[in-house]
Amino acid sequence: MRTWKLLLPLLALAGLIGIIASCAQMKTVPGIPASHPETLAIGQQVSCAECHEDQQKGTMKAFNAFSHTRSFVKNHRFYAASDDRLCATCHKSSFCADCHTNKAEMKPSTRYGERPDREFQHRGNFITLHKIEGKLDPASCYRCHGRANNDRCVACHR
Amino acid sequence: MKIACCTLLCAASLLAFPAGILAADVSIDSSTYFGFARKDVTGAVKETLLPATQFLGLTVAGLGDGNLSLHLYGWGRTDLGDKSSSKAVSNDIASFNSDKSTGSLSYGYLQYRFNQANATVRGGRFSIHEGIANELVDGVSVRTDLPLGFGLSAFGGATVHTAKIYGENSDGKGDFLSGGRLNYRYGGLLEIGLSGVYETAAPKLVTRTAANYRRVGGDLWLTPVKAVDIIGHSSYNPETKQFADHSYLITFKPYQKLNLTGEFNQQRDQSFLYAWTMFSSSALNPNDKSTSYGGSASYEVSKNVEAAADYKHYSRERGTAERFGGDVRLNFQENSVRGGIGYHYLNAASGFAIGTNPSASYHELRCYVMHDTKGLFSAIDLLGNRFKEKIYNETNAWETTATLGYHITPTLALSGDVGYGRNPQFTEEVKGLLRVTYNFIGGKK
Ligand code: HEC
Ligand code: HEC
Ligand code: HEC
Ligand code: HEC
Ligand code: HEC
Repeated sequence: MRTWKLLLPLLALAGLIGIIASCAQMKTVPGIPASHPETLAIGQQVSCAECHEDQQKGTMKAFNAFSHTRSFVKNHRFYAASDDRLCATCHKSSFCADCHTNKAEMKPSTRYGERPDREFQHRGNFITLHKIEGKLDPASCYRCHGRANNDRCVACHR
Repeated sequence: MKIACCTLLCAASLLAFPAGILAADVSIDSSTYFGFARKDVTGAVKETLLPATQFLGLTVAGLGDGNLSLHLYGWGRTDLGDKSSSKAVSNDIASFNSDKSTGSLSYGYLQYRFNQANATVRGGRFSIHEGIANELVDGVSVRTDLPLGFGLSAFGGATVHTAKIYGENSDGKGDFLSGGRLNYRYGGLLEIGLSGVYETAAPKLVTRTAANYRRVGGDLWLTPVKAVDIIGHSSYNPETKQFADHSYLITFKPYQKLNLTGEFNQQRDQSFLYAWTMFSSSALNPNDKSTSYGGSASYEVSKNVEAAADYKHYSRERGTAERFGGDVRLNFQENSVRGGIGYHYLNAASGFAIGTNPSASYHELRCYVMHDTKGLFSAIDLLGNRFKEKIYNETNAWETTATLGYHITPTLALSGDVGYGRNPQFTEEVKGLLRVTYNFIGGKK
């Protein structure tokens, strides 16, 4: 019953989108490609400005805002909130899921031991330090371990 | 469930091969890990862990009329030694939520992309990032841009449950979840969004307070002048009738080589962490607030050298703390040799300390070097902490890892890690990992 309550508005919306999608006005709304036309080398801070100059088509933002500077990587949550589909042109969902998932089997820094240059959230033995870091900024932990990926935590946090 | 996952993974891997011949656009990512860890835990038995883990990802694009695609990713693990679910656990409490073999489907969905307006429809298990809504659902989602700069997205379905909370019969989440976002963009100048999530009533709990998960919020992206972006959001918890959080970032790029940022974050603890059942957060004091602000600067000294510095101040009911430090990154030989060195100091009040320690302050030093060629690749990583006051009788913690690997073919690589560490929790830890990765990208590209 509840499922239907939730699904009905969705189906209605899907229908609406179907109609909109077939309407002529929509054809003029620009889209970005499904995947980035150029494969980029890994292991570097991608500077979009290196290859792109001006603003993206339509109402998109300046390319350079998405250059993967140190602060972009650290603060990517702000960018993903409004431009997730742009991320998806270069990143498979699995790229994000290695750090963000309901149940992660391995710490990303262990899984990708061959990539010490990447910005993984916990390195080394985090069990000791988390008792400090968790008190300092619990909101940041909540983003990943709050409603997901807490299999291991509940063994101690009873 | 677990068996279902494993079967699914196996089926997916079998399917992948004939599909590879038929469809034009199949890509497979497979990684297999054989781990070894020996832990000497203070006051407990030695543990030997031998987990074998398989991750598998499959993407098939260009299905149907060419706009339909399938995306799958998951993993399975089995233990050849002691149970590894207990590997984070220091004492004898390993028996809760631990199995000798387990697995999970991280996501699995079908996606249809329209040729215009960035319109997409997804069905299956997928994650959503729309404004303040960041969820994993088993359901349906739709999104599209609309004329005049508007955009619309919506999702709904079953919640993906996680581990049961100790002493409870559930993870504290409701069974269905829906939400969406409406946004408006004006040129490259401004974007505003309104978003929300609504989960059906949380289950009744035995010892904890059940908390419904519902949130609404607004997000903003403002580019007043070309070099400046102001991005952020505020969210409101209708259950507690209070703001949950404010989170804002300002970036300033006066020129390509210099990047300055400032950030401000504030949460009302109860309202933001409301549905964190593990900590029964709905029972927190509604007046407690956590605030942090800080800034960073990074500068490209030359093509090979980048330097960065950062500062962050935290304040909570427990006290205040600040962290500052910096790092330098180097790269040579067209990025095939990379290195970094960084130092940070956390200066924190005793309220953040472990147990009854008088201080939570510590130094952190990290350095690494890596070398990547078409054949061999290698890396060395060193991480050290020095605590201002001893933690469980130790002043230092450190860990080092060395990796050596070989690209057998451009798609297949074999590598191994060895690591050694000493820290307050495990007096001594020896780790090893053998890794086989296979990344096949088929199709036209
Ligand atoms: C190595 C060069 C290179 C880099 C770096 C690069 N791109 Fe591209 N990008 C291209 C090429 C080539 C195209 C296809 C030609 C075109 O449309 O401009 C393209 C196309 C695009 C498009 C589609 C344009 C359209 O409207 O059809 C988007 C969006 C895009 N890039 C985003 C980015 C972003 C964001 C970054 C930085 C994170 C980035 N690119 C970095 C080379 C690059
Ligand atoms: C034009 C392609 C392109 C686009 C668009 C793009 N990225 Fe990236 N991103 C990359 C590449 C290439 C890397 C480097 C991967 C590596 O080194 O393994 C990367 C790395 C990252 C990293 C990891 C850095 C680390 O050190 O672990 C994050 C996080 C990230 N991107 C987030 C995003 C988000 C969020 C978006 C969308 C707002 C986005 N990216 C859009 C190409 C892109
Ligand atoms: C290297 C690990 C890593 C990768 C890869 C990564 N993230 Fe993140 N992500 C983080 C961290 C760490 C945070 C928390 C940052 C904080 O608390 O300030 C975060 C936070 C987020 C948030 C905010 C979540 C919330 O509930 O507020 C979103 C959205 C997000 N990331 C999206 C993405 C997307 C999309 C990708 C893939 C393109 C991605 N991330 C890849 C580490 C990662
Ligand atoms: C970007 C998502 C992300 C954020 C943010 C994050 N974690 Fe994690 N964390 C992970 C992943 C992924 C793992 C590996 C999964 C596992 O070991 O079960 C992990 C593992 C851990 C572990 C086990 C570490 C070990 O050495 O075995 C602890 C403890 C932990 N996190 C605590 C925290 C705390 C405390 C915070 C906040 C300060 C936090 N995490 C923030 C994703 C995150
Ligand atoms: C080995 C057992 C153990 C595991 C596993 C563990 N923790 Fe903890 N955690 C502790 C202990 C003990 C403390 C309290 C230290 C103190 O206050 O002295 C703590 C403290 C915390 C705090 C600070 C809480 C406060 O007092 O305000 C957070 C947040 C936290 N842990 C999150 C996590 C998360 C998230 C995970 C899983 C990713 C996790 N922990 C896994 C033992 C553990």
